[in-house]
Amino acid sequence: MIGFVGLSHLGIVYSLATAAKGLEVLGFDHASGLCDQLNRGEFPIAEPGLDELYQSHKARIRFSGDAAELGRCDLIFVSLDVPTDTANRSDLEPLERLMDTVAGRIAPGATVVILCQVPPGFTRSLKTALLARGVEWAGRLFYQVETLIFGNAIERALRPERFIIGCADPKATLPGAYAEWLKAFGCPLLPMRYESAELAKIAINLFLVSTVSTTNALSEVCERIGADWSEVAPALRLDRRIGPHAYLAPGLGIAGGNLERDLVTVRNLAAEHGAEAGIVEAWLLDSRYRRDWALRKVQEGVLSQQDDAILAIWGLAYKPNTHSTKNSPALGLIEALPHVAKVAHDPLVRLDPAAYPRLQLVNSALDACRGADALLVMTPWAEFAKIAPARIKDYMKGRELIDPFGGLDQAACIAAGFAYHRLGARSM
Amino acid sequence: MIKHHHVAPTKPKRVVILGATGFVARDLARHLASLGIETLAVGSARVNLLEPESAAKLKDLVGPEDALVITSALTPEKGKDVRTFMKNLSMLQHVCALFEQANCAHVVYLSSDAVYDDAMALVRETTPRTGLGLYGLMHAVREEMLRFAVSKSQTPLCIVRPCAIYGAGDPHNSYGPNRFMRTACKDRKITLFGNGEERRDHIYIRDVSRLLAMCLERLTEGAVNAATGEAVSFYDLAQRIIRLCPHKVELECLPRATPITHRHFDVTLRLKEFPAFQCTKLESGLAETFSELIRVR
Repeated sequence: MIGFVGLSHLGIVYSLATAAKGLEVLGFDHASGLCDQLNRGEFPIAEPGLDELYQSHKARIRFSGDAAELGRCDLIFVSLDVPTDTANRSDLEPLERLMDTVAGRIAPGATVVILCQVPPGFTRSLKTALLARGVEWAGRLFYQVETLIFGNAIERALRPERFIIGCADPKATLPGAYAEWLKAFGCPLLPMRYESAELAKIAINLFLVSTVSTTNALSEVCERIGADWSEVAPALRLDRRIGPHAYLAPGLGIAGGNLERDLVTVRNLAAEHGAEAGIVEAWLLDSRYRRDWALRKVQEGVLSQQDDAILAIWGLAYKPNTHSTKNSPALGLIEALPHVAKVAHDPLVRLDPAAYPRLQLVNSALDACRGADALLVMTPWAEFAKIAPARIKDYMKGRELIDPFGGLDQAACIAAGFAYHRLGARSM
Repeated sequence: MIKHHHVAPTKPKRVVILGATGFVARDLARHLASLGIETLAVGSARVNLLEPESAAKLKDLVGPEDALVITSALTPEKGKDVRTFMKNLSMLQHVCALFEQANCAHVVYLSSDAVYDDAMALVRETTPRTGLGLYGLMHAVREEMLRFAVSKSQTPLCIVRPCAIYGAGDPHNSYGPNRFMRTACKDRKITLFGNGEERRDHIYIRDVSRLLAMCLERLTEGAVNAATGEAVSFYDLAQRIIRLCPHKVELECLPRATPITHRHFDVTLRLKEFPAFQCTKLESGLAETFSELIRVR
């Protein structure tokens, strides 16, 4: 029996992926209401293919709020989502509390694998801390790097690129249950010391940030000089040093919480240990600047011309296929314009409009456009691209269309008479 | 970070402006009067900030409910040397002495974008303030002097850092719109260094006054740049001015003495904190300035 402790987005997806590999799974969470909900096949997260995966493998998975049941598991993954504060610093206290609860209930020889976002040094200190608190557990502890991508989590969980495994001793043979689980996924294994694995996860994220930041800086240059980033990016993808899967789509800064957390972690580690990490500061600065791209555009094109403008906002999530709004550019925009009337629609996100002055939420994208002076497509949900720009025009009063991600058909928008703005190209 | 102590604009009881005869002070006094805000403009004839006794005089003039706007400074035209630098610091030392014995409701300091270093990156409020020469350093030091002086009383301190200001009442003759307009009218010539490639942000005096008034009405604390976010080259600027002139204007290019540097501003903080504030378009600001200059002539 494989246990999953902490039924976060990662925990839910990974427990289902494990069941899909033919293994028996027990999911545990203190929130027994959540467990009941999951046992009914009702998920608090959105992922393409999630329902189908559950329906196909539900016979092998069960969720429980009773920690004592973990005693039946010989392999336990800890998948609690480590929260961050407003400064993007991790709060490890909930994880430490969970470990205290769990460690006293598991079988003495069970293997525990931490999947959570922890800073370098955490895993090695964890077992020592547990033993110091009198927890009797003789099993082995590992840290496994997980790079969950909201909206693509199922695919990545079922077919991972590799497993990076943090070990107390990388040369020691892996315990049977863990080795068997890893084998079920058939991908390369990279055992290394705890600290290397913990840093590897952060390194992956920082390399993504560097690509995204470079893309963003160059896309702004494109906007100023009349180049078009969508023409430049394919050339880069064919360069072997950059590659076909590089993050070359310009965006509105770093959002979602995890990349920001890692940037802050590295900045603080460098400061503490005397390493030069000025580049991390530059990435953070760039991210804050890019986040307000739409605000600058709407100020320039609309709000500088009229005081009583109505803005239509499509999308509130920080990216499509998720309900997460952590550091969402859409919310940043809404908060920056408390005095402006805004009508927003998101297919998944439900906000309390009372928390945002002059914000109205509506149930359809076109309803949001009724009488609007400008439309801002802040999250490029696929369903928005299906709406013909000519129809959008019929609903709107104004002709400003701010589509940072280029989710709509640019030619059709221009043909419909819109002033069209997107990242990486001069406004048209 | 910016904090507005007044959620809704509230007229200050009275605004005391130091540096009454200066370009910004005069326009600000005019603007505040148009808003119905009582203003006391204090010039060096009444309180000479270079004199140590000025602190006591200020104490008699500034009441606890007043907002104090400090615009007094010896500009680079008056000297770019160490002596001028020290005089400027002395002036602020005497203003700071006021806070050892008295208090006021709000302090607004008119600083300068010269406090920022000459990096290639966009200039924003968080850009390091290493200062462009002694003049820039002087404003950076004065900002810190004021910060220290008001820290005990926790009087809200607002620092406004304008980029190059233009407008008809500008007594200075520094390289830029005002000089270009004057020479275009008087000599029918505009002189550029190199080909005028450098790009700079120019803000209209009326906009600076409006922004200062907004800071006063919102009881703003923190630092904000007064910039438009649109930088143009000196060549472009000269061409715009030439188009305003009814007569032919010669464009003269002299060899440049310094390398080309540009300065662009990221004005996001201002957009967020003063969403109702809109800058006058350069074209309109230049046209208004030009009309006023012609009228005065």
